Amino acid sequence: MAKKFIGERVRRNEDARLLTGQALFVDDIEIPGMLHAAFKRSDYAHARILSINVSAARDLPGVHAVYTAADMGEDWAPGPPLVSPPPSVKDVTFYSRRQAPLVKDVIRHAGETLAVVIAESRYIAEDAVDEILVEYDPLPVVSDLEKALSADSPLVHDDLESNLAAHLNQQKGDYESAKKQADVVIQRRFHLDRGAAVAMENRGIVAHWDEKAKQLTIWDTTQAPIPIRNGTASRLGLSENQVRVIAPFIGGAFGPKMMMFYPEEMLIPWVSVQLCRPIKWIEDRRENFYATTSEREQVHEVEIALTKDGHILGLKDDFLHDTGAFDPYGLTLPLNTQCHLMGPYNIPNFSSQCTAVFTNKPIVTPVRGAGRQQGIYIIERMLDISAAELSIDPTVIRKMNFIPPDAFPFNNTIVDQAFTPLILDSGNFVAVFEKAAEMIGYEKFVKEEQPRLRASGKHVGIALTPFIETTGVGPYEGARVQIETNGKVNVVTGYGTQGQGHFTMLAQIVSEQLGVAVQNVRVVTGDTAEFHWGTGTFASRGAVVMGNAVHAAASGVRKKVLKLASKVLSTPEEELELVDGVVRIADVPDRSISLGELSGLANPLRGAVDPGFEPGLESTDYFGPQSGTTASGCHGMILEVDPETMMVEIKRYVAVEDCGRVINPLIVEGQIHGGVSMGLGNAYYEKLQFDEDGQILNASLADYLIVTSREMPKKVETGHWETLSPLNQLGSKGVGEAGAIPVPALFAQALQNALFDHKFEILETPLSPNRLFELLQAS
Amino acid sequence: MDNLFNLSITVNGVLYERQVEPRLLLSDFLRHDLGLTGTHVGCEHGVCGACTIQFDSQPARSCLMFAVMAHGHRITTVEGLGTLEKLHPLQEAFKEEHGLQCGFCTPGFLTTLTSFLEENPDPTEEEIREAVSGNLCRCTGYQHIIGSVKLAAEKMRTN
Amino acid sequence: MNIQGEYSFHGSREEVWNIFRDPDVLIMALPGTKSLKKISENEYEGELQVHIGPIMGSFGGKLTISNEFYLESLTLTVEGNGKIGFVKGSGDVKFNPISENLTAIRYDGVIQIGGRVASVGQRLFDTVSKNMIHQGLDKLDKALQDRRKG
Repeated sequence: MAKKFIGERVRRNEDARLLTGQALFVDDIEIPGMLHAAFKRSDYAHARILSINVSAARDLPGVHAVYTAADMGEDWAPGPPLVSPPPSVKDVTFYSRRQAPLVKDVIRHAGETLAVVIAESRYIAEDAVDEILVEYDPLPVVSDLEKALSADSPLVHDDLESNLAAHLNQQKGDYESAKKQADVVIQRRFHLDRGAAVAMENRGIVAHWDEKAKQLTIWDTTQAPIPIRNGTASRLGLSENQVRVIAPFIGGAFGPKMMMFYPEEMLIPWVSVQLCRPIKWIEDRRENFYATTSEREQVHEVEIALTKDGHILGLKDDFLHDTGAFDPYGLTLPLNTQCHLMGPYNIPNFSSQCTAVFTNKPIVTPVRGAGRQQGIYIIERMLDISAAELSIDPTVIRKMNFIPPDAFPFNNTIVDQAFTPLILDSGNFVAVFEKAAEMIGYEKFVKEEQPRLRASGKHVGIALTPFIETTGVGPYEGARVQIETNGKVNVVTGYGTQGQGHFTMLAQIVSEQLGVAVQNVRVVTGDTAEFHWGTGTFASRGAVVMGNAVHAAASGVRKKVLKLASKVLSTPEEELELVDGVVRIADVPDRSISLGELSGLANPLRGAVDPGFEPGLESTDYFGPQSGTTASGCHGMILEVDPETMMVEIKRYVAVEDCGRVINPLIVEGQIHGGVSMGLGNAYYEKLQFDEDGQILNASLADYLIVTSREMPKKVETGHWETLSPLNQLGSKGVGEAGAIPVPALFAQALQNALFDHKFEILETPLSPNRLFELLQAS
Repeated sequence: MDNLFNLSITVNGVLYERQVEPRLLLSDFLRHDLGLTGTHVGCEHGVCGACTIQFDSQPARSCLMFAVMAHGHRITTVEGLGTLEKLHPLQEAFKEEHGLQCGFCTPGFLTTLTSFLEENPDPTEEEIREAVSGNLCRCTGYQHIIGSVKLAAEKMRTN
Repeated sequence: MNIQGEYSFHGSREEVWNIFRDPDVLIMALPGTKSLKKISENEYEGELQVHIGPIMGSFGGKLTISNEFYLESLTLTVEGNGKIGFVKGSGDVKFNPISENLTAIRYDGVIQIGGRVASVGQRLFDTVSKNMIHQGLDKLDKALQDRRKG
């Protein structure tokens, strides 16, 4: 009987190395002759560079070179656009402006790179950076999202007529007609902000141009080694084969390490080619706040049209989106927001116009959730507000509007970030919601416990927030699976891994096909020399896209194994099974051959081979989904708030997820816990504080507060529901971002519920103890 | 490059003698001069805890210390806790309970916790949460870390 | 951020006014001033050493006096740049005579900081700047009294 691997709580292959400090991260790379880079970054958010004097820096002992934009000559060029707007959206305007390796004349956000110093050590490089004298001509700063669009606003890009970066209009049905039929139309304005990813490892890059071999090797904390390789080869006039990009172990990424090309990624390899020396640059934490991308503000004007019994007839949301000084990442974030505004609900009429705005602040690109939480926040708050207005129970109004389980695939028609129509492929939103309600004991709490606690003066609140998450988007990924003569299996892929357990999850998929123990499956990720086709790790697509590519490749190997073993064992394929590293006749276990031996037979050293021969037991395959698959879930929270201190204690937390077929439940739990911790940060503790001059005022972990062990609830209770995706063989859906998506809405709702005796409405996120105090005072 | 200090320091039981600049951080010395890259640097301002080592058996931030301040002292890094062949019971527990994801913060947790468990062999959940409140983790949400510590305490008590 | 306050000098309005216009006195009075040189009637150039929490460094820059209404009011504008960042500020100072020996001033201004000193030192800047201003005014007052005696 074949053993099951998929769905098992397999312990991770990669852990022993990580636990003993034997895992390689980018800053661990030491190459003889390596030099170190440090950057001179702009203090001003908007200024013209009048002059840069690097002579004192160049003269410092131990400094090998200092480069400014002028020194790059014709090699200077802005980065390529990473994502363009979807061709399928009819009504879109987009002005593409991209970041430069070093600023030439106008600085557009604080922290932009002005010069790079290359020295014997990072210490000396930083000394030299302090010797660089820049003469700035400060320009007025564009920092307020709404003022940026006024006629007399200063311009971030003065070759444009305004600070409009993009406009995106998506329509479903006819909202205006729907509105006329409504019994109730409710309007609200929301201010949403998110924060920084704050991975524990900052970014870094080591570039090593070997002049003799004419080979460039780059270690980069990137989520996308293959595009980095291809783009770098192109920029430097090299053949793609001459460039190898390795993403080793990476200390967390959460989105911003997918952004490319960062100025440093454009510059450091170029410097290595100039000096014919290995060059290392490691970002420090303060730099990370300025120099690594994050998500930021949106301002939403929302309108919902309902019947008096709570059915949604239409939803309208016009919003502003801060894209920062440049927009290399296209419209991914606004599209994700638009595609999550309808949530898991049947909303027949929808209208949304997004205006993306340039500001003199760092670039905005996806951070775990990637614009989805904003859409979910809006619809969930509007439903709560509508429920209150119509005197309907908040759970009832949701249940009556859920897309029913027999309505899939459900076409919301608008275009999503993967350029395909927003078709929800599968799900059972009612069941997931009811499961969460049951797990947290919603009925009993609301009917019995809460009234009792309130009577004793406690401010305790409960909330349930359902959500969808588009995951598993294309275009494709690929993998190569090979059985070696030692019986172990090699799996090679091109995308990167940043803690999600790919070394184990992908191995389980292979083990399921080949009957080899998970510990005997060796997975390689993120090395373009091993595999050079694919995109990267983002948008919760690893298990779906790479998982299915690995599944396809492993199935291909399985077919070859059966075909060859059938010959060797003189037995029809149907009677064979793959168990414990051997192929054997089912029910006659001593007639077998080990996979290792079989692999040797598949690669003869002598003799002739048949036409169409492929050596070894190896297969390469690809998977590209037709569209993303819809994961969903529901979180529930009971919290208590002290209206004097504004301190919050989460009493209970439940998270039900439907990520289709679960490959490793232990890893899925971990992803949800981590997502919830980031979600809580986004709800109550984290905010990048900018002043009106575009300065970040809390660029340190002492002032930018991420959640510690004390702020998390004692237990995030996870529950599972499974609706298999019809879009891939494994039936799986993504789950990497799910934990973070509903939390800001959930927190706001629970808080609102707890403070039932105060007249105020939460229409913003993040909150904070300070901000909550202000809101309560004003009420 | 004058001004070098003759540093004498014991790391994981091995005595090292090196000439270092007075301003060299202990974290950089361990990672780049000695090649012990298990200790990670997350912030260089003493908040995240990824750089935590044991200084004469007490957990301490190596990013807030100059190497010369450790002259004559005993340092234990994550490499001194266990090896691939023989994991420390705490390391085994982390693997068993999925107490790590990207692994970047993990060495700092391990050096903090082995010390904590020696002094608190039977800690409550509250005590464990308090003990690691100075170590930031962005991946796990801490739940499985707490679970790992409970399992480790049990393993270490029964040995 | 906004900076406002009041202070009483032990001197006549004219004496206080003259102190404000005398670079040799200002250099003593502004804490951390390493140099202050008059470059034109209303402009001074100099270097100021600051220590705000973990950030320590110097700013080189310009101090300009404008909007002068003799004995009534003036505007001080400061612009400085350094390794630790930049500072830009402007404040109106009004002089109110109380008596021959007592003059009250009222200052009202805005200061902007950027760079390292803003991102790490911002939390402390409010207190530190208030301290610096008070120390400066105390020293000016002392210089004024010394001048009156001598």
